[in-house]
Amino acid sequence: MAQLALSIIFVLSALVPGLNFSRTASPAPTPCVVPLSQTLRIPVSMLETSELPGSKDVSVPTLLISSGAVDELPEGPSGFDVLEDGSFVIVDPLRKRICLFDFQGKFRKAWKTGFAADSVTVMKNGLLAVEESGTDTLHAFDRDGIAKPMEAAAITKYGEARVLSGSSGIVNRASGGGSRPLEINYDRQGSRLLSLQILADDAEGNIFVALEGTTAGDSGEEIRLSKSIRRYSSDGTLSCEVPGIPLDYYVPAVDELRVRNGKVYQLLTTKSEVNINVWDTNNQCRHVSE
Amino acid sequence: MWLRFRILVMCLVSGGVAVSRPQTATIARLPRASRAEIIARAHSIANHSWTCGSSNLNASCSRKYHSDWKAGQRVTGIPYRWGGSDTPEQFDKKLTQGLAAGAHSRNGILSCAAGVDCSGFITQAWGLPGGHAYSTSNLREIAGKPKYNWYTDMKPGDVLNLPGSHVVLFTGYNPDGTINICEASGSKGRVVCHSATWSRFVKYIPLQYKGIDE
Repeated sequence: MAQLALSIIFVLSALVPGLNFSRTASPAPTPCVVPLSQTLRIPVSMLETSELPGSKDVSVPTLLISSGAVDELPEGPSGFDVLEDGSFVIVDPLRKRICLFDFQGKFRKAWKTGFAADSVTVMKNGLLAVEESGTDTLHAFDRDGIAKPMEAAAITKYGEARVLSGSSGIVNRASGGGSRPLEINYDRQGSRLLSLQILADDAEGNIFVALEGTTAGDSGEEIRLSKSIRRYSSDGTLSCEVPGIPLDYYVPAVDELRVRNGKVYQLLTTKSEVNINVWDTNNQCRHVSE
Repeated sequence: MWLRFRILVMCLVSGGVAVSRPQTATIARLPRASRAEIIARAHSIANHSWTCGSSNLNASCSRKYHSDWKAGQRVTGIPYRWGGSDTPEQFDKKLTQGLAAGAHSRNGILSCAAGVDCSGFITQAWGLPGGHAYSTSNLREIAGKPKYNWYTDMKPGDVLNLPGSHVVLFTGYNPDGTINICEASGSKGRVVCHSATWSRFVKYIPLQYKGIDE
């Protein structure tokens, strides 16, 4: 009889993944890792010293960057956002304009703002909130570049995050309505959690959190860190993770990460092009052994 | 064997003294500053309000100059001027004299413009006298690498420096683990204080001013 019971358990264990009859504690589940889906490449032009910033025609299809110098960082596109159809708006501060690219990264149109902007955000009302670099003032525009009353510019805040220790943190959703705070576990050998940043809280209750961590000791040679993005479902379960976000920015980013319809987007301005990296957290996920 | 070891130690010690003597003198001459004084000076530069006049839109010594500002525009923060190290008082005086408000490296180092660059801002916050004796490349002469854990124990008034590129003043940690900084920013065109994620500072080196009064 006992042999029969053991046989049933053995067969069930083999047939049903995840079913565990063992009395010993199971190891922590390995993260479900989302690979890079695609990289869109948008060409850039280097600002010539003879060129006056903001002087070029509005229909130029490339984005403009400056080379910088000793004690001056390069300048150029530092912020973007994603529209509902997967197209992008990207700031082009040296030409004082906002550019629209389609979902394949092809230039569609641009409009002059009259000021250098370092950030653009698609608001819930569909308008674009554009931040002026020199004054930090928010301006509202519609999708055709028509200026709207400034009162219309209001950027959604997704909640508050707090790092509790080198291996844990907590996230309170802005839309939580009394829901329990989300506990973040960063239990990684030799690695310390540095920061948490809430990127998005979607209609289904999924929340996307960016995590920065470091394996560097107390006094290494330089700042070293890794960045990942996690998607948690509405019940707080870790759905998947995008590890190893590239950090080799040529132009420092202001708003480099956006989430739209379950896809994570990154704006990475290099010396030769603007890359839009895309990770689809909806269906591309694979478990890897640590 | 013992004799060789003593000779080796003597060589190392005497060499160390020879190398460090000028540096020790430099450090001894550094003005002392408390962390509170450094942060107060940084905020006074970042919060300094000024109005751009029409005469401040042009640089008399450069035909390529293009201003970041508009006539009559009210701005908070001393403007970014590559190679500049003006105090708020010097800046106001130059503005009144009709010098250009700020300039970038693409304009060259302009004597007819007013403002500060990233290292000029840091040395001013530390209370060093005017001029531009220190850049991100030689800031190490007056600032050492802290022994403590950078990610948790940096103190207001320390800096994050990328030699040959940029330097920012650390002012504190936030509960979400991001940091607060003040910097003379070329892209913002002025000195600003704001929060930032660590990702911006990959490869930067934390430094602590050697004239600090703890």
